[in-house]
Amino acid sequence: MSGETVLRVKDLYKRYGDRIVLKGVSFEIRKAEVKAIMGPSGTGKTTLLKCIDMLVKPDSGRIWLEDLELTDPRIDIGEARKKIGFVFQEFNLFHHLTAIKNVMIGLTKVKKLPKDEARTIAERALLKVHIERELWDKYPAQLSGGQKQRVAIARALAMEPMIMLYDEPTSALDPQLTGEVLEVIKELAEDGMTSLIVTHEVGFASEIADEIMIMMDGKIIERGDPRKVIHNPRREETRRFFSKILKIGDESR
Amino acid sequence: MNLMISLSKYLPYIFEGSLWSLGLVLGGLGIGFVIGVMFSLIQVYGSSPLRRLISLYVWFFRGTPLIVQLFLFHWSIFPALGIKSTPLITSITVLGLRSGAYQSQIFRGAIGSIEEKQMLAAKAIGMNDWDAISSIVLPQALRIALPQISNEYSIILKDSAICFILGVMELMTRAKYTAIATGIALIPYLMAGLIYIGLTYIGTKLFDLLYLKMRIPGSVEG
Repeated sequence: MSGETVLRVKDLYKRYGDRIVLKGVSFEIRKAEVKAIMGPSGTGKTTLLKCIDMLVKPDSGRIWLEDLELTDPRIDIGEARKKIGFVFQEFNLFHHLTAIKNVMIGLTKVKKLPKDEARTIAERALLKVHIERELWDKYPAQLSGGQKQRVAIARALAMEPMIMLYDEPTSALDPQLTGEVLEVIKELAEDGMTSLIVTHEVGFASEIADEIMIMMDGKIIERGDPRKVIHNPRREETRRFFSKILKIGDESR
Repeated sequence: MNLMISLSKYLPYIFEGSLWSLGLVLGGLGIGFVIGVMFSLIQVYGSSPLRRLISLYVWFFRGTPLIVQLFLFHWSIFPALGIKSTPLITSITVLGLRSGAYQSQIFRGAIGSIEEKQMLAAKAIGMNDWDAISSIVLPQALRIALPQISNEYSIILKDSAICFILGVMELMTRAKYTAIATGIALIPYLMAGLIYIGLTYIGTKLFDLLYLKMRIPGSVEG
């Protein structure tokens, strides 16, 4: 098996009731690669990410994190999730914990690190996402959306994951706050963090992704070099999707 | 005048009763808290046979009068189990079991009001179910439940007066004995009433302070 491949998803299916959300999704991500998933809302992008982290159980198909098969029911899934960083659309910070404790709790509870060591790692992770010292003891409700999302990224990052999954990380943010979050994701990617990003930010995706995958109706209908997929797609659906979101983007400007 | 003097001799006696009452209340509230937390967790996360068992428990303790429960445990259940109980022990136990039924419903509601996403985020960083519940869900649920626990305190305080029926030397019992001994009913019972009001006031104030101290800074509620 190629040691280079970090994540391999093969023929994933997921159905909710009589609605089939994922209809055979397959792809791979190699180390330090950045892939973006784009597509209209409700086409299974979030479900796909949740399946990878096994927060949602796929009905069939297999997923490997390097050589570990995540879809194998015998594995300790908590052990596997430590190695996957998940960033939620709505941050999902722990409300009752300060910024730094949000980052520390995975280190102390899951990795069983001593408190001072956890604190050092947490401080480093927070600085990496540009959350400065004066914000460390603030509670989530005292932070802006952009700050919250960066703390959430730090929380995932502190666990030293093999891959980061971002589920529309800027969709819940005010437009003027998206930049600071995208900047952090970009910096991490440039540092070599393997990343899978679901996003609607076309410019961002084309800038940092090695490949864009277009998802529609539970399937990846097109994939390839960002510029090519955005500006010169093979599929008519892809072209229509981009012309729609680019036009909306123009109007709001 | 003589009556007043003899009555004043009973003052310390009555006041001592309020310590007994507080003992009943804190004991009952404490036992009820442990039962309430455990049972609410089972009701939210447990298997369905266990859940049904607890529903039955809650149904019994919320559906029957305290006095029936006291008699049932003191004169029937404890003797049948070969447990030699005193009025105080029976009273604390029954108040605790009863409060556990109410508190389990308080905590169940509080746990239910916490977003599913908190649990999801805990799992995403690799927490197992127990860690996620104990370090993420419960600390938030306890804060939400606190005003209702304060309410439960003020209810159980007044419920504890019924324990006089078993002869526990709490406030009500002593007020009654004083009334009998002095032949004056008004003043001992009025005093008992005032002490109950005082304890309710002090207790709920303390809960208010605790609530403010535990409140999550920046949060909108409260």
